[in-house]
Amino acid sequence: MDDIEDDRPHRCTAIVYYAWKIFTCLFTHVMLVTMVVAYCVLGAVTFESLEKDFELAVKKNITYMRNNVTEDLWILTHQMPVLHLENWTANVTSRLKIFENDLVSAMKKGGWDGSEDPAVRQWTFAGALFYSIIVITTIGYGHIAPKTQIGKVTTIFYAILGIPLMLLCLSNIGDIMAHSFRFLYWRICCYACTRTPKRVHGPHRRGRSFKSTGRSHSGGGRNTVRSRTASLRRWGRNQQGSQRSADSALALSETLTHSYSDTECRYYDDSEKEPRELASGSHGRGQKRSGTQTLPSQQQTSYPSPKQANQGVQEVRGVIAAPPVLFNKYALDREDSFVAGQSWNSGGQHQPRGKPPETIEGKPKRLQNLNPPSSDTRLYLTPPPQPSASPSPNTRSRRMQDLPPQNPSPKIMSPLGFTVHRQTYPRHYRDMDFYSDFDYYDYNDENPSSQIKPVPIWLCVFLVVSYIIGGAFLFSGWEGWGFPDSAYFCFITLTTIGFGDFVPAKRVNKNKNAEVSIALCSLYLLFGIALLAMSFNLVQEEVISNVRRIAYHLGIIKDDDDEDD
Amino acid sequence: MERKRGGSRRSYSGGAGGMGGGGRRRKAWTEQCKDYVRNFVAFMFSNIGIIGLVIGYTIAGSFMFMAIEKESVNTRVDQVVKARNTTVANLWQATCCTINLFSEETWRNTVHVELLAFQKSVVNAVQNDGYEGEQLNGNRWSFSGAFLYSLSVITTIGYGNVAPRTEWGKLATILYAIAGMPLFLLYLSNIGDLLAKSFKWTYAKCCLCRGCARRRRQMSTANNCSQATGSDSAGAAEDSCSSRETSASASVSDDDDDPQTVTVPITLCLAIMVGYVYGGAVLFSRWESWDLLDGSYFCFISLSTIGFGDIVPRDDKITSLQGVGLSFIFCSMYLMLGMALIAMCFNLMQEEVVHKFRTCGDVLRRIVRCRR
Repeated sequence: MDDIEDDRPHRCTAIVYYAWKIFTCLFTHVMLVTMVVAYCVLGAVTFESLEKDFELAVKKNITYMRNNVTEDLWILTHQMPVLHLENWTANVTSRLKIFENDLVSAMKKGGWDGSEDPAVRQWTFAGALFYSIIVITTIGYGHIAPKTQIGKVTTIFYAILGIPLMLLCLSNIGDIMAHSFRFLYWRICCYACTRTPKRVHGPHRRGRSFKSTGRSHSGGGRNTVRSRTASLRRWGRNQQGSQRSADSALALSETLTHSYSDTECRYYDDSEKEPRELASGSHGRGQKRSGTQTLPSQQQTSYPSPKQANQGVQEVRGVIAAPPVLFNKYALDREDSFVAGQSWNSGGQHQPRGKPPETIEGKPKRLQNLNPPSSDTRLYLTPPPQPSASPSPNTRSRRMQDLPPQNPSPKIMSPLGFTVHRQTYPRHYRDMDFYSDFDYYDYNDENPSSQIKPVPIWLCVFLVVSYIIGGAFLFSGWEGWGFPDSAYFCFITLTTIGFGDFVPAKRVNKNKNAEVSIALCSLYLLFGIALLAMSFNLVQEEVISNVRRIAYHLGIIKDDDDEDD
Repeated sequence: MERKRGGSRRSYSGGAGGMGGGGRRRKAWTEQCKDYVRNFVAFMFSNIGIIGLVIGYTIAGSFMFMAIEKESVNTRVDQVVKARNTTVANLWQATCCTINLFSEETWRNTVHVELLAFQKSVVNAVQNDGYEGEQLNGNRWSFSGAFLYSLSVITTIGYGNVAPRTEWGKLATILYAIAGMPLFLLYLSNIGDLLAKSFKWTYAKCCLCRGCARRRRQMSTANNCSQATGSDSAGAAEDSCSSRETSASASVSDDDDDPQTVTVPITLCLAIMVGYVYGGAVLFSRWESWDLLDGSYFCFISLSTIGFGDIVPRDDKITSLQGVGLSFIFCSMYLMLGMALIAMCFNLMQEEVVHKFRTCGDVLRRIVRCRR
């Protein structure tokens, strides 16, 4: 956000962009959280006012019922001429059964919590706030539930609005956390692995690149959170993704000179993400279409190259490799043929551990590609054996024709790609997408090694498990449950199953700690769900590649089956 | 669709090739077995197989939970009965044996104290042990109850009317959920996609006039082109525009006979969801003698996976076949179909929303450019 001054020499569009960017940043992060909080408070006030009276009425009714029983028993005792043990016992037992059933139905249908004190209410402000959170996170303990008609209707509409809002907010928080966690992990924990990034461009970009990489990366990562609601915006993201892959391929061409192993790994990841999304189900046609749409923009990146030939010498080497890599990537992106699937899988296989071999492998492959560019790419571009879209051969051949002019003047390619990317994307895609692409690119330039690497799966699993165990300790101390019960409660809560057999503050009422307990639990579960979203975010791609590999070995590689695992 | 078909066709042809090799007796029987297993697994993860997989997993889970939780059923009821009997005995003591100070006031006080103790024990039984009244004793962990429980775990609905009481049951629930939830998500995405495709096909074939679709496509082509011409480098823009045009026109010509590119309006999706909830409400209100609001409340709370569990179908209403409660089974079927349907609707709606957003963004961008 401080970059406005630095960027003023650019066009006025830049200012508009940054204004928009600040706006989106503010909107997505601050506004969303504020909105969720405000929505919860609103719900709390509404439900409290709706349900308070009914609860009090139920409470009064209990006392009335018990007094009735006493009265009945007295009458029964008095009306009996002789006190017979059997008769009397049978009568009293049947009366007590009725009383018991009344009690049970008061608890089940009336939502009575077992205390008759009118001062101790379930639907206090804190309770109603907890209820609102429970509804919009879809946990649904059910320990307090609306019992009035209007309360039920309000709950339905409240949930309809609130659940998507909450999902949006949680995925946002998850993205931020994933970003910072990745940063933390690779910057601080594995400082030894990182290298000093090469500075190609002006200094002002570095600061900016940090801020929004999370968003750019998170595009794919949000999948998991949203997949529950059949992921909003998946389609758009696909397009963004395929576009970004072109970007990443371009950026790769620059970073290739330094041969950062991790970036390459990550790029494999990225390219792996594409076919998955491309293949994912119903949008097959639409994606194909988007694929063809991205073609021209790529041509654009390379075609008007002779304009700017003002780049450093050290760029050249990387640039030479650019076109084959680009198209290679692209071919991989578009395709879901068997051979290519194999090659990704092998690439993904190496990811976690064998990083240096990966680079050694990766580089020659590209250089090899460089020498006979057209033939090699053609090999990758051979149409996948599918009833593919008819335009694709068309555009492909076009692209192949475009290829030769690029190779003679390779060094212009990357700077040009840079500017063209900058200018073209906002016109074809939505602004957010543009920004993420843009930042992604910058950030590839500046910090290739620090954040790109995926965080290992075991770490995320360990994080979640330790969070559950920590919560178990916390709740067993706080609520007086046993440790297994607390762990069970944490698991059931964080997976949003929410049985409601263990609920915080159900029995703390007597200790006058209900508010604190509820607040503690709310914080725990909100943060926990965000943490879960984060770890899904981090782990997702690696898990998917692993699952794909397993599926391939099992013979079920069919494009789509295991994406959602 | 084509992709998926293509993939499966490929796999099947591969499998057929494997079998052919086996026919020539060139392959070892292990290879053959492996092929069969592969085909089987592939089938299990296909659209039809995943339904069977989910149902099978649920049935397995219900048997497991039945076995684990069986013994904890009766203690709960026994507790309440015992409490009632002690209360009656105490009352008898108060009534007959302390007859020398028999006044109404003291008697009432004694009875009041006893009743309070009894009430407390009942409340305890309901809250801690899930007591639901005497007539609902036995069949809580019946097969159908356990089935609904398993389904509510893997769908993350979690009614909580039936919850494990034993340590082993809790552990088993955790493990069961860890394996089951991804499976159900897989089911949702698969079936949702399948439903979305078939629904789109139906919609495109039956309800849509083809002129509308064509006009929409042409509009989008024009949009793309005009964006491209706005680009700074004119040559590149023209080139891209022309290429875009060709690709777009090609895709249009390609898409003409493809129903998968139509977007279904949001209102229709919403109508489907509301209709499904309403239909379920009518159905449940007839079965369970709820009123319509309770029925739709239950359907909504279930399908949104909130799952309060304050209103749950009772197992004893429809009990026809050898005591297997059909009510829970119907409810489970309703849930499985409904969640897939909702996934489908979200699928379609999201497509439509993205489409709308993109056109909006295009318009906005053009306005901005014009001002500049």
